[in-house]
Amino acid sequence: MKLRPQLNPLTQRQLERFRSLKRGYWSALTLVVIVVLSLGAELLVNSRALIVSYEGNWFFPTYGKYLPGSTFGLDYDYETNFRELENFFEQQPHNSNWVIMPLVPYNAFEVDLPASRYPPNAPSLNEKHYLGTDTTGRDVLARLVYGFRIAISFSLILLICNYTIGVALGCAMGFWGGAFDLFFQRVIEVWSNVPFLYVIMIIASVIIPNFWTLMIVMVIFGWMSMTWYMRTSTYKEKTRAYVLAARALGASNSRVIFSHILPNSISIIVTFVPFAIAGGITSLTALDYLGFGLPPPTPSWGELLSQGTSQLESPWLVTSVVGAMVAVLLMVTYVGEAVREAFDPKKFTYYE
Amino acid sequence: MHLRTKSNASTLIALITTLALTGCGENENSDPTNTPTAVVREIVSYPSGGILPSGLIWETNNEDPIFASPNAKPGGTFRTYVLAFPLTIRRVGPDSNGSFAGYTRAGFLQLVSLHPNTRKFIPTLATHWAFHEDGKTVYYRLHPEAKWSDGTPITADDYLYAIDFMRSKHIVAPWYNNHYTTQIVNIVKYDDYTISIEGGSPKPKDELLYEYSMGPVPRHFHVLDQNWVRENNWKIEPNNGPYQISRIEKGKYIEFTRKKDWWGNDLKYYRHRFNPERIRVRVIRDVNIALQHFFKGELDTFGGVLPEFWHDKFKGKDFDNGYIHKIWFYTDNPQPASGMWLNQADPILSDKKVRYGLAHAMNIDKVITTVLRSDYRRQNTHHEGYGDYSNRSIRARAFDLAKANMFLDEAGWTGRDDKGIRTKDQRALSLRVTYGQSHHTPRLVILREEAKKAGIDLTLQLLDSAVSFKQMLEKKHQIAWMGWSGGGLSPRYRQFYHSDNANKPQNNNLTNNAVAQMDTLIDRYRAATDKKDRVELAHRLEQMLHDTGAVIFTFNVPYTRDAYWRWMKLPEFTGTRVGGLFNPMGGQFWIDEQERQSVLDDTATPTAPVSILDTTYLSN
Repeated sequence: MKLRPQLNPLTQRQLERFRSLKRGYWSALTLVVIVVLSLGAELLVNSRALIVSYEGNWFFPTYGKYLPGSTFGLDYDYETNFRELENFFEQQPHNSNWVIMPLVPYNAFEVDLPASRYPPNAPSLNEKHYLGTDTTGRDVLARLVYGFRIAISFSLILLICNYTIGVALGCAMGFWGGAFDLFFQRVIEVWSNVPFLYVIMIIASVIIPNFWTLMIVMVIFGWMSMTWYMRTSTYKEKTRAYVLAARALGASNSRVIFSHILPNSISIIVTFVPFAIAGGITSLTALDYLGFGLPPPTPSWGELLSQGTSQLESPWLVTSVVGAMVAVLLMVTYVGEAVREAFDPKKFTYYE
Repeated sequence: MHLRTKSNASTLIALITTLALTGCGENENSDPTNTPTAVVREIVSYPSGGILPSGLIWETNNEDPIFASPNAKPGGTFRTYVLAFPLTIRRVGPDSNGSFAGYTRAGFLQLVSLHPNTRKFIPTLATHWAFHEDGKTVYYRLHPEAKWSDGTPITADDYLYAIDFMRSKHIVAPWYNNHYTTQIVNIVKYDDYTISIEGGSPKPKDELLYEYSMGPVPRHFHVLDQNWVRENNWKIEPNNGPYQISRIEKGKYIEFTRKKDWWGNDLKYYRHRFNPERIRVRVIRDVNIALQHFFKGELDTFGGVLPEFWHDKFKGKDFDNGYIHKIWFYTDNPQPASGMWLNQADPILSDKKVRYGLAHAMNIDKVITTVLRSDYRRQNTHHEGYGDYSNRSIRARAFDLAKANMFLDEAGWTGRDDKGIRTKDQRALSLRVTYGQSHHTPRLVILREEAKKAGIDLTLQLLDSAVSFKQMLEKKHQIAWMGWSGGGLSPRYRQFYHSDNANKPQNNNLTNNAVAQMDTLIDRYRAATDKKDRVELAHRLEQMLHDTGAVIFTFNVPYTRDAYWRWMKLPEFTGTRVGGLFNPMGGQFWIDEQERQSVLDDTATPTAPVSILDTTYLSN
């Protein structure tokens, strides 16, 4: 037994090919890094300090319970403002207390409204608002980062759900064919013609959509596209000699599907993945932009975009969110192109 | 009825852009005393040729000063915009209460109207009025020259028909059906130009004129049947005001033209008003795009109540060169009541201490001084701008964490969860704020962040404005963030605070307020006809309301602000107490077309920037 699963030589060659496509490869790496970093965003962009040393005790407020100001000798019981605490400690002479703040010392919700200036405020290194503040005085970078985390997780979960349903149903349609296939073809055709945006609008006006309700609605109206590809692919694979051989050896339906047909259709699935992710991000952003997405004050790119377009006098709003969107979508597209090229059957195929 | 709509129109404009507005005009809709009567016709007896009671004292008012400028020049086209094309130009029935209603309804005058400065009644379609001693009947002498736009004279029969019309099921307008059944219960014709109108209950004289005034309906025009609503969507109904619709380009614009030989042209209070020859109302679907049209000179004025427009967007060469002027004009009229309406039927909010604590945790002042740029004023009571009726001694509960903590501790919310939110019996002090205007989110975000300091978690529920209002009317909210438009001559309490309306859906008692003592006073207030008593009762009621802590009033905007091209001319006194400087249907402004040409051709001489601040009507 080997510890590492032996990759099929075809897959190995596809991966090598992918690695050789520099643009897509580096984009993929960057994206992975960004996603991983965003999962730990609380350590990078947060109003809670990373470490506080107060009278010999160390505190790590990032993930724990809230720490009232009185913990650190301040005169209030609500959550400590660690930025003020840092200044407070620095102003006291001969003080051994210290605070380490994250890179961006703001969270995505708090409003920072300096006296005599009205939001949105321009980017400022001094105030550590590296991309400025929005119309309510919240840090744009913090909202971008947390908005990205929500958008990418939304997109990934949506992808998994859509593909699970789409692949399963498509595969079943192709495998069994006949009346089952015909029936579901018609169902999908009808279902695809439901105007998705209107449905979302109606739902959003009646209930407050949250992350999961929005997800459910998007899955209900988004699983169809994958079925067609899987159906055709299954039809094609089903008649190949190796499937017939497996059947002749007495393989069960599930064995044929899971061990033979699905692995050989994987390239189709993989090729569509990056574009589906990009689609998920853009559709969430579009819904938020239109006001039918996640409820305020959830950090969201769409909401920031709509602020930016109505506040063109404050260009940092629109440039930062458009910049971030372009960067992420471009990278996803590069990955998609590279995957498509690497998995192109015309280059590597066992069949004539 | 029309009076109410008209007085709301000015606040309406401000409201649409600034404040929570949901229940304009038809507020009384839900007053349960106004249950529609099934038998409609039997109430009406249309006796004609009757004998007027003796001893009537006919009153009129030609003494008040005029509120227009003799320098005004007629002519020119006033160009303005609406955000959506109206769904109909009918003035009653389904979809007729949209933002365009102000334009169509302004074309239909009523028996009497309010002088904008003296707030006294002035003759309009009626020349004289007299009161019956029963305290609920008013007699009117109609203006003999008043005509419909097609030339037909307006006579007593048009008023009799108005009752029939407004009570008809075919117009699909329950509010009007109800109003003309329970509020206006009878009408009598004495001759072609004398009528009397009987109201549902006795009221002080000015309230009688205000509440029971009505307008005629052109009986020669309407065919009342089940098709009325559909067939009248785009039919131009003859009206009696100075303007009539002259052109409809569906989806693009609607144009009004001044009637050349309008019957009211030479009447004292109408001279030098209604100056533009044409009014063109374009559809521009986005405010920011409309602003660009304004900057190009394609719109004549632009509203600037919203701080970001006034401070940030009203800038540029044309402002610096004095081509576009800015004006900030304080008004003095009933203010809308905007605030957070706490549902006292909610298990958390049923505790008065929680309501007090919540009020002290709302940092309204911070909202005003930050995102609202100190342009708005804190609202202290429900009824501000009602003259003597307003109780000015009450101050809203200020942001004070010590007090908030004290009240919440006393209420037993002493625990804290991981996020610092207060808890009681394992339940977090989390309250949902329902609202319908996305541009109010920044205000609520600030309140939410500040409330956390007192251990209160506010969740924001932004819904479509119609849906949010429905949810509030059905009392499904915890905290309703909304505003009632102001209006009327005196405060209204019953619909908002009487226990008859509490814990029942579809009425305006959003707080589910049910205080026996208040009920008594409200009933006394409604029955009182002496102004002194009413004022005293109003003050006491306002204090009791404050003591319940059921509403946290937020802010009001007692002014109008506009940017306007300098070819738009205002009278030397600038505007009237109620504002509406550039109200196209009733304003006092005029247009200098020559100046427009020279400014647009770039041949005009630049001047220093002009920004006017008018505090004539600034009250405390």
